[in-house]
Amino acid sequence: MSTILIDGRTIAFKPGDNILRAALEADVEIPHFCYHAALDSLGACRLCAVEIKPKNSNEAPRLTMACLEPAKEGLEVSVSAAAAQQVRRHVIELLMINHPHDCPICDEGGECHLQEMTVTCGPPYRRYRGRKRTFTNQDLGPLIHHEMNRCITCYRCTRFYQDYALGNDLGAMRLRNEVYFGRFQDGPLESPFAGNLVEICPTGVFTDALFRQRFARAWDLNTAPSICPHCSVGCNTLPGARDGTLRRVRSRTHPELNRWFICDRGRYGHQYSEHCARLLSPRVSGENTSYHKALNAATTRIKATQNCIGGIGSAREDLEGNTMLQALLNEVGGVFTAFNDPALEAATIAAVSWLQNSAGAPSLIEMEQIDAALIIGDLTAHAPMIDLALRQAYRKGAELTLFHSSPTPLAQFTTSAITVPPREMYAKLSHLCTLINALLAGRDISDDPMAVIAKSLIKARQPLLIGTIETLTATDASVLAKLAITLGPNARLTYALSGPNAYGSALLAPEGNAMQILESVETGKIKTLIVAGNDPFSDPRFGLRWRAACRNLNTLIVLDCILTATAEAADILFPVAAWTERGGTFVNYEGRAQSFLPVFHRPEYLPSAADVIADLAKYLECSRQDVLSVLQDTFPDFQVPAPGTLGSPIPVSLPPISDSPSAGSPLLSSNNSTWQTALMSWYGDETLASFAPGLTSLAPATIAMIEQATATATGIVDGSKIRLRGSADSVVLPVQLNQNIAAGTVGIGRNVLVRLGLGHGDPIELEKVL
Amino acid sequence: METLLTRHLDATTPLNLAAYQAIGGYCSLSAAFDLKPEKIIETVEAADLRGRGGAGFSCGLKWRLRGADAPSPRYLICNLDESEPGTFKDRYLLYGGPHQIIEAVIVSAYALQAERAFIFVRGEYAKGGHSLNQAIQEAETAGLLGSSICGSGFNLQIEVHLSGGRYICGEETAQINAIEGKRPNPRPKIPRPSTHGLWGQPTTTNNVETLVNIPHILLNGADWFRSLGVNGGCGPKLFCVSGKVRHSGLFELPCGTPAGELIFEHAGGLDEGRTLLGFLPGGASTAFLLPEHLDLPMDFDPVAKAGSRLGTGSLIVLDNSTCPVEFTLNLMRFFARESCGFCTPCRDGLPYLAQILTAIASGEGHADDLALLDELCATVASQSFCAFAPGAVMPLISSIQCFHTHYEQHVTNGHCPFDTTTQGERQP
Repeated sequence: MSTILIDGRTIAFKPGDNILRAALEADVEIPHFCYHAALDSLGACRLCAVEIKPKNSNEAPRLTMACLEPAKEGLEVSVSAAAAQQVRRHVIELLMINHPHDCPICDEGGECHLQEMTVTCGPPYRRYRGRKRTFTNQDLGPLIHHEMNRCITCYRCTRFYQDYALGNDLGAMRLRNEVYFGRFQDGPLESPFAGNLVEICPTGVFTDALFRQRFARAWDLNTAPSICPHCSVGCNTLPGARDGTLRRVRSRTHPELNRWFICDRGRYGHQYSEHCARLLSPRVSGENTSYHKALNAATTRIKATQNCIGGIGSAREDLEGNTMLQALLNEVGGVFTAFNDPALEAATIAAVSWLQNSAGAPSLIEMEQIDAALIIGDLTAHAPMIDLALRQAYRKGAELTLFHSSPTPLAQFTTSAITVPPREMYAKLSHLCTLINALLAGRDISDDPMAVIAKSLIKARQPLLIGTIETLTATDASVLAKLAITLGPNARLTYALSGPNAYGSALLAPEGNAMQILESVETGKIKTLIVAGNDPFSDPRFGLRWRAACRNLNTLIVLDCILTATAEAADILFPVAAWTERGGTFVNYEGRAQSFLPVFHRPEYLPSAADVIADLAKYLECSRQDVLSVLQDTFPDFQVPAPGTLGSPIPVSLPPISDSPSAGSPLLSSNNSTWQTALMSWYGDETLASFAPGLTSLAPATIAMIEQATATATGIVDGSKIRLRGSADSVVLPVQLNQNIAAGTVGIGRNVLVRLGLGHGDPIELEKVL
Repeated sequence: METLLTRHLDATTPLNLAAYQAIGGYCSLSAAFDLKPEKIIETVEAADLRGRGGAGFSCGLKWRLRGADAPSPRYLICNLDESEPGTFKDRYLLYGGPHQIIEAVIVSAYALQAERAFIFVRGEYAKGGHSLNQAIQEAETAGLLGSSICGSGFNLQIEVHLSGGRYICGEETAQINAIEGKRPNPRPKIPRPSTHGLWGQPTTTNNVETLVNIPHILLNGADWFRSLGVNGGCGPKLFCVSGKVRHSGLFELPCGTPAGELIFEHAGGLDEGRTLLGFLPGGASTAFLLPEHLDLPMDFDPVAKAGSRLGTGSLIVLDNSTCPVEFTLNLMRFFARESCGFCTPCRDGLPYLAQILTAIASGEGHADDLALLDELCATVASQSFCAFAPGAVMPLISSIQCFHTHYEQHVTNGHCPFDTTTQGERQP
């Protein structure tokens, strides 16, 4: 490998590296501002001045910017040269001219790159005697605080926001020493990745507005490596807590996954753990009680209903909690599932099985390298960071194709975006599969409107097929996998799953358990139901059935950290630690197990779900009480990876999925109703995050979205009101007409779907309200 | 000398296509199409035509270095974003005769085999841009533009891009960003715009005055063109003279005409009783020259040897009634205002310099301010991203050198020596 010499130290570099990149990757610090590994060199700040030793001794040494100078074999570089130091001193002096020097009251203080560079490189005294320039700040919404006077014009914010994340409502305006980074008008930043401005800004222009409300100095925060619990990607995070409360979440670099960034749901969704209705004390029959008494009550009830027990784990419950629950149920003669929705259970198990029986899901950095993708559903809402990875692929020229039922932000970056009603997704994907087979067999399909898509996927060096499992059926998931197989060994397959541990949970119980439990509760066969981190009552499609069925129960035991509808109805309620308050393991969409540590402990005793179940096992005198040994028994070849590492694959395999579509899948049932529902999700829309007020304050208005042409045909006009009738209830909503929703579908938000008792793709009755 | 570039210019009623053709306009097209593009580039290089936009780089060499095998599409940009204080030559060309510009762009684009050309017009020259557009339409209708011009098989489309209106848009790479619809910050010069310019394609940028020489070189040859200059200069040059002269204006004279001749013969000299304090030879971003330089031929190399730049050939003349500190402050305020805000030394350095200079000019300077100016100028000039800031501090550095006593008087006396309210009388 080629090397350069920096102040006598030999540094290896890769072809194409500049001096600064090579140095930073070797942990050699060269002061810099505008350079960022994700954004590359710009050459604007002029802080990374270094001196290059000339080849001939009679030439003078050359000052240059390390970020713009290509690394060449044998180059001798000096960071400490007097001339380079002088440039840095001047640059800092110039940047300090207008900087307000408000470090004592600045939120960035203590972790401010500008502060560090100023102390490292700058002159100790100020010589400028003129007035400072001042700006008016903007209201950028509830999540990000704007303080433009601190700006040093490194352009990192716009380069991230516009160039990297492809947002268009933040930019550089004006010129000279009045360059202003902001929006055209005040208003919340629209990008689901806007929160990264807080970290990418080298000083305090963009700061975390939620952290600001309950501020603590960076050096006073307790931190520990954590994993984001808000989707299946498993971004690495570094939460910060102080005085027994969680204050903020930042990204933690994982070189194969999120690297430097996280989405706003991951950054701001943590407010669920500080929610005013947070459960902190165990309850039995609605009365607060001690942990010990609650355990006793649960033990008595479980013993009384031996062999009539069911348990629902969760895709958002960690591997330990799910495994413990399954083990406990095995001993007391109960049935376990991790899903309250049988369709989601089937789809997730199908997806995981296909992933295990193919090359496996690509990591985010692998996704950035693909050159074509077929995207099914709204990735921005279900796995925002996969969306960001695909935006990088798009920037490099990848052709993205999208099949979606409701509007999604990713649509604007696609070569073709086709709206497909939920119940026609299977047919659409099968047709594409047929086309690809025909093309590969050399037949002419050019008169088919989808021929372009088929060709684009075939000619791609590495096509990616990706589906959002929550809006797909098991058969949809399978046909997507078959599409990948048809496209050959270079094609990659992946799914955005329904929760941080959906993959891990799907390994524990066979398909059909969810329906078996639901029916057993309905028939009274199950008398005690233990629910860990799940909310069957709020399931859009099955919530109504679960509510009705649970009236037959003797005892509903719920373990959760948020007050869900199911938790509220619990006979025995165990409040458990939030994800930042406990250690555990999540298995992400790739099958990568990642462990995390508790960041802090609250004054109240809040065990993890696994701990509660372990204690229950003790009280019940079960043989398997230890979390680690239960994990070891369930996953014999699995070593729990150390927190803060890259994680390790979970070595379990599910049997391959049989070819025949499972019968009775609710989405495929034929129905003559004109209208069907489509879930309109947004990036802040997730169970935990829905308890985060900062994020939910940005939720889109509750409306019913209908496609323009269908609406016109039925005489529905924009802004008028319609009544929607589902199995549980009816609601009246204002209509919004839109091109980006499938014909014959009514796009409605998750909350409305829950209220109506309808799932994605279910038939719905619609009438105009005069 | 008979004028070549300005003889038909008429700002009130510029020649239309027919009238321009009647005086020999567009003749160079057939001459050009008879030649191979490489042959034209060879001739231009032999004519020693140097860039009139300020840098003075050999036009023929620039064209040759782009390479004949540059991948298509290739672009030509005619830079008419004249914003340099004291410079108004391109405006004469634009308002006086748009067809001359179009003819020049056609033959230059042919030499470069560029199929698309942009004329980047300064925002304030909107009316000129409008008549340029009309002239382009006339030429298109007459088959002088578009596909297979005059049956030559050469296609060219010319677009007028009216600038949003900033000094930095005249910088080659910032201009490329502007045409692409981006914020006009300069780009790194590596890879070079000649290979990775507009939309990543080979792009050649030339000043409009440079280009209008090309048809004449084609028609009359390189030797003839070189013979038009004096004192070692080549070809004609448009000189702008302004400041404390009696007849400021535009003068087309042989390149190499001595500065004294320009100021005292053509521009009518100074007002009665005044003496020459100094002058800027090439617009605001060049170093001062002094009375001792009056014999200096106004050509690129002699002016560079004297420590300044010929720049755009725009002389700004100062007599002994002008305070050089205040004059320099005026320039610095201009440059601080026009900085694009991209790199630190320029964005924050120029206002800093202007602030120190303001203090000195108003008699509030500190004893060590001159040393501070020197110190900062060195970093601003050498460590900025593009050529804007080095140009901006050039008059300041030279002003301190040339008029050091004036600066010291401001600092030590606590007021401007030219200030009549405190001095009673204007004195140098």
